Amino acid sequence: MSETQPIVVKTVADLKDAPDEFREAVAKLVISHAINELYGAQVFDEPAIALAPTPYAKWLTCRVAMEEYGHHVRFKQLGEQIGIPESRMVPSDSKRPLSIFEFPLKTWEEFVTIKLLADLAEILQVEDLLHCAFHPLRNLARATMPEERFHAQFGEDFAAELVKTPDGKARLQDAINRYFPYLPAFFGGSRSRNNEIFRKWNIKLRTNDDMRADFLNRAREVTAKYGLTLPEYKEAA
Amino acid sequence: MTGSGPRLDGVSDAIAAASWFAAVGEAWTAADQSEAESYANTLQPDALRIAIAHDWHDAARITQDTGWSRTWWNVEEQQRQELTLAAEHLFGRHAVMTALSAVMAMAGDLVHGKAALAAARAGIADPALTRVAAGAAAMACHQLAVATIAQAPEDHPFGIKFRLFAAGRWPLCVVGESLYVF
Repeated sequence: MSETQPIVVKTVADLKDAPDEFREAVAKLVISHAINELYGAQVFDEPAIALAPTPYAKWLTCRVAMEEYGHHVRFKQLGEQIGIPESRMVPSDSKRPLSIFEFPLKTWEEFVTIKLLADLAEILQVEDLLHCAFHPLRNLARATMPEERFHAQFGEDFAAELVKTPDGKARLQDAINRYFPYLPAFFGGSRSRNNEIFRKWNIKLRTNDDMRADFLNRAREVTAKYGLTLPEYKEAA
Repeated sequence: MTGSGPRLDGVSDAIAAASWFAAVGEAWTAADQSEAESYANTLQPDALRIAIAHDWHDAARITQDTGWSRTWWNVEEQQRQELTLAAEHLFGRHAVMTALSAVMAMAGDLVHGKAALAAARAGIADPALTRVAAGAAAMACHQLAVATIAQAPEDHPFGIKFRLFAAGRWPLCVVGESLYVF
């Protein structure tokens, strides 16, 4: 099979016949979504649950945490099916996650910010897999998308609640000011070799810069809906 | 630590057999009242009255009431953490977390599906509210599992609370002097 021809790999079994570069690219993507060494039962210890302001919010956060954990599990299962060694999917000590949501949290407003904006970034990443040439990964993205959309909506719904008071709005704005600067970097470098390979094989469709620009636009729109702003973002050189 | 790992077959069976949300909004019975009072007495002996949520909208409103009891939540959380420590002392952290994670994996989508079905039967199309119900149920499964591994007595509050869920009810929360049940 020529490595310059676009290919479609419909099953896990067919992957073994794909070019090495295609297989390694798929593995990298799966690993990036699968890494999470936490036990599933740890969702009940998530700081966000303790921070949530009502039983309604606590139990909703609990269920969202379970779904988030479930995403990692599904990607890890796909990783096992395609033969990725466990050692590549378990984080090293330096990458050990602190929580399902991968951000240290001290306030409810910080968690709402993560749902509002970080899940928006996650939606973009998953959207970019919806036409993936490796169909098991495409299918997993399709399965994950409804929950990711709900999680982002969770962020909007609680943002709407918080901005009803000047104090709540100020706290949420403060959390956005502190957390937002971390998010654009999630889309990777402008001259990413990995991204080039992903697009070469139609595993992903968009450049990192394109996705980052889309994220910035969507983030501005969603924050503006609630009378909030994004801090100034300066692109890295 | 004991040599054999924690066994939760009975908990898994109980979760699978429970009538999740099947009786929410239905007529309240003497047996429901008795079980709810047993649960309330574990929280605040003879101090709480039982109040009924009439429908899903009522349940949503009650669980967002700003007068809800943080004491109730904090007491249950403390019990959960103490039981977890006791369980880890018996079996070690890895064995306990692995067993509890297996329960969560089995229970999570099951209770969410049951909550969604019950809500749909009542004409409720609210994905957030069904997730609230699912989160409450999942937490109750986890609490029962922790109590079981830690060898807590059968009349432990988490066991009584689970029995309410198994009977098709949803114990909501304490607001003021009332324990609300749906």
